[in-house]
Amino acid sequence: MPAEPPANGGYLVAAYIVAAVILLGYALSLWRRARRML
Amino acid sequence: MTSSLEHQAASHAPLSLDAARRVIRRGFAITAIALLGVAATYVVAIGFTPVEAHQGLAQKIFYVHVPAAWGALMAFSLVGIVSALYLWLADPRLDLFAAASAEVGVAFSAVMLTTGPIWAKPIWGTWWTWDARLTLTLFLFFLFVGYLALRAALHDPQERARFSAVVGIMGLLLVPFIHLSVYLFRTLHPQPVVLKPSAPSLPWEMLRTLLFSTAAFTLLYVGFVTVRYGLALAAEAKALRDAG
Repeated sequence: MPAEPPANGGYLVAAYIVAAVILLGYALSLWRRARRML
Repeated sequence: MTSSLEHQAASHAPLSLDAARRVIRRGFAITAIALLGVAATYVVAIGFTPVEAHQGLAQKIFYVHVPAAWGALMAFSLVGIVSALYLWLADPRLDLFAAASAEVGVAFSAVMLTTGPIWAKPIWGTWWTWDARLTLTLFLFFLFVGYLALRAALHDPQERARFSAVVGIMGLLLVPFIHLSVYLFRTLHPQPVVLKPSAPSLPWEMLRTLLFSTAAFTLLYVGFVTVRYGLALAAEAKALRDAG
């Protein structure tokens, strides 16, 4: 019987949240600069 | 600033604030579609891609980490190529594109350099190791943070473009070393599973998700760079208008 995969889903959630925060944060910074510029 | 703008106005199509606005709007439209693609990647990776037996759910960080690394290395490679073209052709638009690509590359690098350690901790047992791949990647990130700082510090556009082009080309020289570092040095970092001479060594279900995610991140790169380039065009157009 194969062993169960390790229970480390918390790291996956943390990584996906960090990536989303960085990408959405950069998109928001571009949006704010565009509003100021135009 | 005027000398560069006069040079641009004389040698290229006149800058227009309306044209810059159109570029920015187009960029935001592409960015919105790409962000939906990244969100879809999360859904596909979590819900429709098998769990790797040895690494567990943490392996799915791969579907964000690798496309972010791809986006960063593509961005920095283009900075170097376009910078070399700038030194040859002296077209200010090439300099503006290089600056846009460098900034987006730094954002993608931030994703790569944060998701990497979060993946490493449960698999390697450590957040970070000073091996060749990780260290060179960190140096590349710092080099392009320096590139952006250099651009912010120099006020003469031609001097800024020339100096930063040299730094951009230096960054390009690091990229192949980073890709080959896993072959050249002993490292904990895994070797490429897709960009290698032989066929991809991933099950189709995983490769499909990786390709989808890579397409979404590539589109996001295009969207971000288009907006950032449009902002630079708008700034130049405003400066030209104020000078005239």
